[in-house]
Amino acid sequence: MKKIFFQGFSLVVLFLAAWFALRQVDWMTFFKVEQATESLEEKLGDLFADIFGKDELYSSDIKAPVDSILTHICTTNGIDRDKIKLHIVANDEVNAFALPDKHLVVFSGLILTAENEAELSGVIGHELAHIQLDHVMKKLVKELGLTVLISMTSGGGGEVIRETAKMLSSTAFDRELEREADIKSVDYMVKADIRPEPFADFLFRLSAKQPDILKNLTWISTHPESKERAEYIIEYSRGRLDGGKPVLGQEAWEALQARLNEL
Amino acid sequence: MASFAYKPDDHEAEKASNSYLMSLIAVIAGLPLPIINLIATFIFYMGNRNGTYFVRWHCMQALLSQASLVFINSTGFWWTMSIIFGSATVTNSYLAYIIAAIFFNLIEFVATIYTAVTVRKGVHVSWWFYGDITDLICKPNQYHEKNIFSRF
Repeated sequence: MKKIFFQGFSLVVLFLAAWFALRQVDWMTFFKVEQATESLEEKLGDLFADIFGKDELYSSDIKAPVDSILTHICTTNGIDRDKIKLHIVANDEVNAFALPDKHLVVFSGLILTAENEAELSGVIGHELAHIQLDHVMKKLVKELGLTVLISMTSGGGGEVIRETAKMLSSTAFDRELEREADIKSVDYMVKADIRPEPFADFLFRLSAKQPDILKNLTWISTHPESKERAEYIIEYSRGRLDGGKPVLGQEAWEALQARLNEL
Repeated sequence: MASFAYKPDDHEAEKASNSYLMSLIAVIAGLPLPIINLIATFIFYMGNRNGTYFVRWHCMQALLSQASLVFINSTGFWWTMSIIFGSATVTNSYLAYIIAAIFFNLIEFVATIYTAVTVRKGVHVSWWFYGDITDLICKPNQYHEKNIFSRF
């Protein structure tokens, strides 16, 4: 009997040792997993970004202020700003979302609804967190499967691409991932010396809007339990930052909103 | 290779050999669902549980050899599922595990083919570890002792 136990134990140890030994080899490089993933993400990102491209705003007096906020959050949090592709799209919907390959899309409707730059910073931080935590690709793989994603990049299914872009822009991530992105956004804001409370105010305010205008509040209606989110954001950020410095300043913020109102 | 309690007949050798072939077919058919191998060999064992000692012994060894693979393959299977449908990602540990699992499956595959061929010739093959457990579980019963006796 002892012999059998010893043999069984040896077999388990043998397997674990083989696994441990094989782990010493860099299989990710060997199988070019990272390059393949990056290439797939890049192709998908370009495909989706093209869909919103026709309404993109390139004017520097619109793009530069939002870019400044994004750059400030990135540099203070050790995020490579050059890899984030910012798109500001002329659209009345209160919406912002992340696309594969670090594309960050902000609708003009959201900038106009935000009362100050800190509110916009919170939303940017939230979407940036989705990007940095790799939520976008996880969601796509989960919802569609790798095969569909690969077929999209190999020239198939224009309608599928449009529908997927719609899904990415109009549905939230899992509750757990949304919470993770909210918390991460608060961390980003604290490090960037931006007060996180306005981000919670933004959620509170929009969740209290009348249902008839809810159709334009995509970012809120697709992110459930906004009040609950606002509460845990307040709770998490309590006492973490008292002052906070504006990135743009009131004048530049008002100029941005005025410029968008002209559209 | 080891000696058995008696020299099996040709039909016994064929049935015993089939138990290994059964597990091989199941390995091929059930690669994505590791539990299939175990179920297939278990059904074959149940079908032959009243067979002769030689047949029962080899059915049991085939069944046991599948059992350990089920643990290895199930872990790999669910790990893969969590990558495809869950939030897990492909990591170096995952790839190393899958390679180790494939390696162990291959060893088992080759050993099974060798055993099926050898047992078909009526030669007893007792595997390291699995043979000893089989000896503990599978004992000759009265019917078979009579059967052995009737040979002489």
